[in-house]
Amino acid sequence: MADIGKVRIRVPSTIKPGDVVRVRTLVIHPMERIERDAQGKIVQKKYRYIDRVVATYLGKTVAAFDTTQSVAENPSFAFTFRATDPGVLKVVFHDTHGSTWEGTADIRFS
Amino acid sequence: MNHGRSISRRRLLGGLGVLGVAGAAGGLTLGRPARAGAQQQAAALGAQESVQDALRRLFGSRPMKDGAGSVTLDVPLIAENGAVVPVGVEVASPMTAANHVRHVYIVADKNRIPVITRATLFPESGRAFVSANVRLGETGDVRAIVEQSDGTLLQVKREVKVTVGGCGG
Amino acid sequence: MRAWPVAALLGLAAGCAGGGLPQATQPPPAWTSRAVPEARGDFRVRADGKREAIRYKGWTGRDFGAFRTYAYDDARPEVPVTRAAMPAGVAGDPKKGRALFLSRAKGPCSGCHLIPGDDVWPAGSVGPDLSTLGDRRLPDAYLYQQIFDPRVVLPNTAMPPWGAAKIFTPEEIVHLVAFLQTLRGPAPPEKDPERNPFTRPKPPGFGDNLDPTNNPGVLVAEEAEALWSARGPAGRSCADCHEGGPARSMRGVATRYPKHVAAYRRMMSVEDFLAAHGPETTGRPLPSESAENLAMTVLVKMASNGLPVAVDLTSPPARAALARGKASFHRRVGERNHACADCHTPDKGAGKFLGGRLLGDVTDGLTRHFPTWRTSQGALWDMRKRFQWCMTPLGANMLAADAVEYAELELYLTSFDNGKPLSVPGIRH
Repeated sequence: MADIGKVRIRVPSTIKPGDVVRVRTLVIHPMERIERDAQGKIVQKKYRYIDRVVATYLGKTVAAFDTTQSVAENPSFAFTFRATDPGVLKVVFHDTHGSTWEGTADIRFS
Repeated sequence: MNHGRSISRRRLLGGLGVLGVAGAAGGLTLGRPARAGAQQQAAALGAQESVQDALRRLFGSRPMKDGAGSVTLDVPLIAENGAVVPVGVEVASPMTAANHVRHVYIVADKNRIPVITRATLFPESGRAFVSANVRLGETGDVRAIVEQSDGTLLQVKREVKVTVGGCGG
Repeated sequence: MRAWPVAALLGLAAGCAGGGLPQATQPPPAWTSRAVPEARGDFRVRADGKREAIRYKGWTGRDFGAFRTYAYDDARPEVPVTRAAMPAGVAGDPKKGRALFLSRAKGPCSGCHLIPGDDVWPAGSVGPDLSTLGDRRLPDAYLYQQIFDPRVVLPNTAMPPWGAAKIFTPEEIVHLVAFLQTLRGPAPPEKDPERNPFTRPKPPGFGDNLDPTNNPGVLVAEEAEALWSARGPAGRSCADCHEGGPARSMRGVATRYPKHVAAYRRMMSVEDFLAAHGPETTGRPLPSESAENLAMTVLVKMASNGLPVAVDLTSPPARAALARGKASFHRRVGERNHACADCHTPDKGAGKFLGGRLLGDVTDGLTRHFPTWRTSQGALWDMRKRFQWCMTPLGANMLAADAVEYAELELYLTSFDNGKPLSVPGIRH
């Protein structure tokens, strides 16, 4: 119901240098499933689903997911990274139709 | 809370530099894979097949050890529906350059597309933890298969019952 | 304009003469639905002359017109209580009976009753465990009557009159009886605590409903924020009259709904009110069950998150509506002849499993997380769609989403949420 490609990222409000930080993300996406016609045959079409998620921190990849149509609609993913310096955490979502969306979180220490 | 934005594919590809078509159907490299190669990888990853075929395709005849000592698979005993089932995997690992978890595979035996996701981790991940919301076609085993940096494979699995009932499902 | 029943007119006269409250006997005025076409409970006539229901995508188009509904002007009785004798000349087949017992096209009987078998998943606990029923050596005729129409033996039972409503044929019931008589003890040892609904763990739920990285429903409200500030066809926006943004201007508002709105002379939820208020102010249609109405309802309700529900239950119109809503809650409807109370009160089904679903208890308060994101649907549902959804397994035709009957039933349900904090949108199965 919400627009495709909307991204949300959540990180803890308090991060200390050296913490291993848990990140949770959600992206609005239909993650199209295989369709079958009335005879049970698979409908041949270019199914639209997210097939790759890449999380980077200070420009280095900290987690990546290769994903399939067995991942849920509006998928949520979680992973961790070690927070060494203030900087940007970025998560990029790619889908099979060539669309790309990203979300960022500013990592600051408190 | 942080919000996202859409970026054009062209812009992203330009940023990643020259891409070639990835050759091997084997594993991912540790760096950023070519986009076209990643698509090929993901398409191969998400094939409709039996779980036995999927495991053979991904791991050949490599031995798989019981991960019970170090791998925790967090899945509900009963999923209220197959549309959204949270799955978490945690592995006891020092996550050093010499010794870390390279991949975590989540597999559902009874799904038409049994391979759900392959997560790739790095020493910078800090801990070997991933979670994802998955689809389950029906009651069946969910597996976590962990590939260590030295190539060792560990597996744990648990049955998740998908339930029905109530006011029309 | 609907004609008022004679009883209501007499009541009105008595009220004027100083007797009881006229409103208590006065049915609410008729309401023309402002819902989207698939949410009105309408019918069309097919080419072959059969009536087909206009419903949401994927919902059955079957016409349950033979059975009682929630409509206030539906004065038809319940399915009549029927005594029945076993038909002669039918040899009961236990194998057929077991298949019928488990058939999801029928009950399934296992939705309420546990029987042995690794393939029995998921049985419910609303009714007694039948695993050793055969040991009781009950006469076939007694079991037959119990299934055909249990009300003959137990007048207040929640069990449907399977034969009287013609859900099972007499022959099918004979097979069921034959099967049940084979269920002799000792029951096999239970290998699986989840299989047995009496030992099955309660579902853990779907986590933090207000976390946007967990509940996609939270993101839907953001769409409504744009709508709030956008000018409608009449040249005005919500923001023009409601200053300070939705979070500030709407704070506390949703805690008082459903409420009697004098301008429309009826009980209304936030959804009902928006469907009337939107076109009259901004000119923007916000039909019930439209994406815009749902998003705007979530936006308005989120402004009251954390605040206690505080619906009026004491003014004369509220009391009258509450009485009618409570009567609806206990009203038996449909082919299954069920009342809400059969599943959702502690002395009937609440807290037990219906198939794999734990039944909610109305006394806990069941409305304060609506509209809720439904993971099985990938969409936000409001309370009315939830009511309408129940109608299909009940075998009753649904009313329009914005029907007064549903609004007054919702008031009764919400009375149990009073004092408890709103938390919208929820996230559920």
